[in-house]
Amino acid sequence: MQLNKSLELGRKATYPPGDIGIWIVIYIELITFGALFLGYAFARRSDVELFNNSQLLLNQSAGFVNTIVLLLSSWFVVQAVQTIKNSDRQKAIKFTSRWLLAAMSFGAIFIIIKISELSDKFEQGINLSTNTFFMFYIMMSVFHFLHVLLGIFILFIIRKKVKANGYTIKDHKGLETGASYWHMVDLLWIILFPLVYIMR
Amino acid sequence: MNFLGVYKKIIIILLLLTLFTYTLGYLGVVNSLFVGVILVTTFIKAQLVIEYFMGLKDVSLKYRIIPSLWLFIVISLIAFAYYLPINKA
Repeated sequence: MQLNKSLELGRKATYPPGDIGIWIVIYIELITFGALFLGYAFARRSDVELFNNSQLLLNQSAGFVNTIVLLLSSWFVVQAVQTIKNSDRQKAIKFTSRWLLAAMSFGAIFIIIKISELSDKFEQGINLSTNTFFMFYIMMSVFHFLHVLLGIFILFIIRKKVKANGYTIKDHKGLETGASYWHMVDLLWIILFPLVYIMR
Repeated sequence: MNFLGVYKKIIIILLLLTLFTYTLGYLGVVNSLFVGVILVTTFIKAQLVIEYFMGLKDVSLKYRIIPSLWLFIVISLIAFAYYLPINKA
């Protein structure tokens, strides 16, 4: 809301989109995941061969598809935030709700692919104590997975409010709050995918 | 509406950069040079998400700088971990 006003006036907004509380959560999450990414990168130095050989057991295509799925899902949420600003309120509700449904559906696709990937590893007898690579892989995958689940739940709550005409052109801070969280989930995966699946 | 056009371009760039990264991995050509290329690609993708999807490009510097600085530090330290010679004592 404040962002829109600032954009109209052609100057920068004081606060980021959504509730300021979600940005504190986002900054904390970034630090936590940052520590995991760096832990992985530096732990790899102790046994590069083990990490490279273990990485060959991962399904790169599943990681790639999941990246595409999350990027598109994030884009759908951007569309939802833009659409809620439509002056025709009936259209705004209808299309925002559809964009959010699309985002949630793609989030669900991510979850399904991730479950199949992880269960495949568990069936092969791979677990947290197999080696350092898989300890990091499972820990980061499951931690991120839980964030995707929470993100889908947040989008579900927001969609319910959209359908109940709970947001206006001027006031849709709740929608922006959920959107910011969802983009953070996407941002983290953008780093996780090349780091764990591709780089050797 | 003009904004929607910008976002379309951003998602296309993000998808193409992802395809590029995956292709390098698929072809198995990820050597030390390509690690650098992948990290730069990852930095660009993440920065696009921060600026456009998270909407921080229109926000004052003190909020915008935190995720960008985080990204710069994380990517730089990952590069450091990959490029620093390993002592095999």
